[in-house]
Amino acid sequence: MKALCWQGKNKLEVEQVNDPEILNPRDGIVRITKTAICGSDLHLYDGYIPSMEPGDILGHEFMGEVVETGSAVTRIKKGDRVVVPFTIACGHCYFCKHNLWSACDNTNPNAWMAEKLYGYSGSALFGYSHMMGGYAGGQAQFARVPFIDVGALKVDRGLSDEQVLFLSDIFPTGYMAAENCDIKPGDVVAIWGCGPVGQFTIRSAFLLGAERVIAIDRFHERLKMARLAGADVIDYADVDDVIEELKWMTGGRGPDACIDAVGLEAHGTGIAAAYDYTKQRMKLAFDRPIVLRQAIQACRKGGVVSLPGVYGGVLDKVPFGAAFGKGLIFKMGQTHMHNYMDRLLKHIQQGDIDPSFVITHRFGLDEAPQAYRIFRDKQEECIKVVLDPWQEIAAA
Amino acid sequence: MTITTNLAPRPGEEFSRRPATTRLETALTLAAGAALSIYGVVRRDWFGAGLATGGAYLVYTGAADLRKPYQGRVRVGFTIAKEPNEVYEFVRNPENWIVGLHGVRFDIDDENRLSLQFDDGERYTLNSQLRITDEKPGEYIAWASDPHMIEHRGVLRFKKAPGDRGTELSIAFEYKAPTGPISRALASFAGFDPEQLARESLRKIKQLMETGEIPTTAGQPVGARGLRGAAKRVVFRERPTMELQPQQRLAGD
Repeated sequence: MKALCWQGKNKLEVEQVNDPEILNPRDGIVRITKTAICGSDLHLYDGYIPSMEPGDILGHEFMGEVVETGSAVTRIKKGDRVVVPFTIACGHCYFCKHNLWSACDNTNPNAWMAEKLYGYSGSALFGYSHMMGGYAGGQAQFARVPFIDVGALKVDRGLSDEQVLFLSDIFPTGYMAAENCDIKPGDVVAIWGCGPVGQFTIRSAFLLGAERVIAIDRFHERLKMARLAGADVIDYADVDDVIEELKWMTGGRGPDACIDAVGLEAHGTGIAAAYDYTKQRMKLAFDRPIVLRQAIQACRKGGVVSLPGVYGGVLDKVPFGAAFGKGLIFKMGQTHMHNYMDRLLKHIQQGDIDPSFVITHRFGLDEAPQAYRIFRDKQEECIKVVLDPWQEIAAA
Repeated sequence: MTITTNLAPRPGEEFSRRPATTRLETALTLAAGAALSIYGVVRRDWFGAGLATGGAYLVYTGAADLRKPYQGRVRVGFTIAKEPNEVYEFVRNPENWIVGLHGVRFDIDDENRLSLQFDDGERYTLNSQLRITDEKPGEYIAWASDPHMIEHRGVLRFKKAPGDRGTELSIAFEYKAPTGPISRALASFAGFDPEQLARESLRKIKQLMETGEIPTTAGQPVGARGLRGAAKRVVFRERPTMELQPQQRLAGD
């Protein structure tokens, strides 16, 4: 089969590799019909995530048709159309039973690596470094899905691939970020980053009853999309100080909840941003926590700071005194996918939201390296890329 | 750390007093350490300071080996979502052992003595015979080895975890290996690190008991590994996908 392989920083290649096989009795093999590039894939592309090896197959947002199942698979059948969550959960450990699916104990074959860095290992992820399990990803024509009975969401054929594909990651991720804010009637929510996850966070905040959403970015196409969802926007490149602007927009209170949908590769302006860039270039730091600092400063007293954005290492100059002084609540982590997929599928079926709004670019798998570059550099007003692994073959 | 087997080693069960290291390795360690330290001090720069520190550490370990045999200690614990009795039964059943112990063959003779053979192809073979010294079903199993090349003794405990979380399965053991610091580092680099082996074995028991299988990526498709990847494949003893034999029996089948 064809698969997109990581070959080093800024270096991706579409290669011919073996088809995946059933390796464990609870595995299934999925013939992928659509797959997407996630913002977090860009951290791999830019070489910020440790323990990637040349030849690793990327991709963790995918869906398709089940073509083979292992001997212990019962719920999922050959021929089922499924969306696969990006976290792999066993369904039996303490964490899975307590709905903390992304903290699953039993799916990461390289748990010791994560334990060295983080103390404990979370669940494995598809196509996201050896520390996170080293499972081959879904930017390929086929993928092996461990514990397919536990994870895969069956979808009927009434909805198109593009409508349900984002149940694999970004829609639940945006939704959990908003749900973590414990939104009450009258709440104002500020969201940094209007990329794909940010867009879903904005819409999820409204679904959960936010009175007002303020979206912060600097790319006009992203701000435009946020405005279409009903958000007020701040172009941070246009204002002197985002925190003052937020204070002014909220009658001096500050937002009730602040969501960092940016993570470790924040851009930012001014001296603070230059400081983080320099440190990262000198390999003194993994992360540029520009947004996190602003979110902590901006949040109202006793408010919630929610982090769907990914951080990797040890953060520098995080104003923890401010966080303590204001009694903030922090919520973060990989999405507990399995809690949300069913619920959000219902929202799509009822017509509350059509997730395909976020797609701006469509490519075949062969063009994936170019698609990564366009997405990373935000060329052509790119917001979300969907790949069709079979496009060329279908055309031939 | 003292091993809390609630049993003091019986007479004859203490580790033997012979030195852990061969005289040659100790001598080499001391000589190398001294040479590095002197060279480092003579350099009179920061790199030299680093070398001198490393050298001093070698001298320290060499001297420590002369003074007292090296004894390693390992403590690892996992919580398994099963009752203590179930975990005990699982651990006590020899059929389940082969799953957790990679490259280890075992054998039980009439006197309930267990022979373990660590065999990694041609690279090394280690023999160890051990005896269960004390046991309480559902609570603990304590063992001690014969005074062979590697001596070890320890206890495996099964304790009910609070809040219906199942069983805290823990292993604590001491071992004495006939090695100096250099061979220990090399052995651990080659994957023969007692703590790592113990931790991964317990982890596999947990995974198998809770889910019915052990997660793996061995045999999945992979792109061109490149030069660095090929080197790592040798170090980590990976096999490229094409060479893998179809699995006879899947874990948990």
